[in-house]
Amino acid sequence: MLEIEHVSHVYETPQRRVEALRDVSLGIREGEFMSFVGPSGCGKTTLLRILDGLAEPSDGRIVFNGRELTGVSRDIGFVFQDINLLPWRNVRENVEIGLEARGTPAADRRRIALEALRMVGLEDVANVPPYTLSGGMQQRVGVARALALHPKVLLMDEPFGHLDNFTRETLQIEISKLWSKLGTTVVFVTHDVDEAIFLSDRIALFQGKPGRVTDVLDVGLPHPRWEFNVRGDTRAIEMRESIIQHLGVRDEVLV
Amino acid sequence: MSGIVVAQRRRARPSRKLEPLLPAAAVAAVLAVWQWSGLFLNPILISTPAAIAGDLVQLVTRGVIFDPLAESLEELVIGGSIGIAAGIGLGLLMGRYELVDKVLSPFVNFLNATPLVVIIPLVIIWVGISQNARLLFIFLITLWPVLLNTVAGMRNVNRGYVDVGAAFGLSETDMLRKITLPAAVPYILAGVRVSAGLAIIGMIVSEMEVSLTGLGYLLITYGNSFLTGRLLAVVFISSMFGVANVMLVKWVQATFFPWIAGAAAEQR
Ligand SMILES: Nc1ncnc2c1ncn2[C@@H]1O[C@H](COP(=O)(O)OP(=O)(O)OP(=O)(O)O)[C@@H](O)[C@H]1O
Ligand SMILES: [Mg+2]
Repeated sequence: MLEIEHVSHVYETPQRRVEALRDVSLGIREGEFMSFVGPSGCGKTTLLRILDGLAEPSDGRIVFNGRELTGVSRDIGFVFQDINLLPWRNVRENVEIGLEARGTPAADRRRIALEALRMVGLEDVANVPPYTLSGGMQQRVGVARALALHPKVLLMDEPFGHLDNFTRETLQIEISKLWSKLGTTVVFVTHDVDEAIFLSDRIALFQGKPGRVTDVLDVGLPHPRWEFNVRGDTRAIEMRESIIQHLGVRDEVLV
Repeated sequence: MSGIVVAQRRRARPSRKLEPLLPAAAVAAVLAVWQWSGLFLNPILISTPAAIAGDLVQLVTRGVIFDPLAESLEELVIGGSIGIAAGIGLGLLMGRYELVDKVLSPFVNFLNATPLVVIIPLVIIWVGISQNARLLFIFLITLWPVLLNTVAGMRNVNRGYVDVGAAFGLSETDMLRKITLPAAVPYILAGVRVSAGLAIIGMIVSEMEVSLTGLGYLLITYGNSFLTGRLLAVVFISSMFGVANVMLVKWVQATFFPWIAGAAAEQR
């Protein structure tokens, strides 16, 4: 459904030239939960921005439902690594921004935004400024803002990266539930291996310098995952080991 | 380690209850020394707080202050607000259109760098010794900081906010209206404060240098007559303009843009 075809991306700045992605090819299937896992700086955000049409690849292309992607698509929603809620808008108005761009009438915008906020359990704070919310709540607003557009694909860039473990686990379960309920295709970036295993159908492993996909794993655990102890599952433990070995994290730590 | 540092800092500080009183106490101490100096210093040099306060009351009760004050205020408000409005307007144009920016920025930067008091003779040549000359001067001195700040504000929008606008499909106009402009408000307000401060300076300077009117007239007259008490009473009134400016901008920000303080507090 979403095909990444031989995508390369190079950042040229006066100081340096960074090869953020080299010849990445990957197909994302309809309805699946796909995670990108890899060390910092391996091009995960870059690829996600390209998938959203926010950036153009230096080479290669993205094909979405049979058509080459050129620019931002209505059917693809984005949850940013650093949320970026607009402080001059209250929570509901933040969620409405995409609907405004589509010319949705105010009353409908309001209804849809409140609905999206209800999905993430935040309808009570619809009218407060975003900077009065905790980090976890802000991240949920970021999710609601994307969900309000009913996207077919949801791109999430390390949405729980800045959160404490407890909040993180709660949100992991919530996102997993939302995904089963909505049937949206999700591409989820993280460098937390356990998080990727808990959430995903498949995991694409990235390596850096230059950024590339080195393996794609099938997780193969049954859903729903929150109903059993994924951490303790033997297959999960083995997968975790192999991912960590594959990424060479051990070696790096030892060196 | 850190516990020791904290403990030392605690000891070095006056107790919490007294701390808020410290500024007031400092002012009171200076005033007291100043007043005491009056016992042996010639009052023409620096007068005394009590004498100045007395002169201030007299300026008010005898009604001497009202006409000059009204004149000054009128010039300040007209010249200053036109300057600030034009500065924001031009800044928005330069921020929005690269071409306008490229064409105007050498002039803007040159004029901003020029100590603009030097153009008073030119202003007089243009419009003669008149209220218009004073207004023009205030306008010219007010324009630049707010203009430059507006441009800077539009150029320095948090990349994350721009990404949000792009990802959620905002049109170019909506991007400007809903992202760039609000994001530039803190810069613009800071520019307004600086510009308004310059407008006050422009007001006084033009009243002393273009033609004697308003508070500038009083300052020169009292100075020439060695009426130091009254002179300083007028100085005090001029200072109040600056204080009012800062308070006004703070009020505007707190009332209409409470998110600025909120978002800044969150960053910490
Ligand atoms: N705008 C940019 N200009 C220049 N170089 C950039 C830019 N954005 C990213 N890079 C570089 O491209 C590489 C990939 O960056 P990217 O943000 O995609 O990594 P990432 O995998 O998302 O990392 P993290 O896990 O830390 O978020 C990095 O080396 C980064 O320094
Ligand atoms: Mg990233």
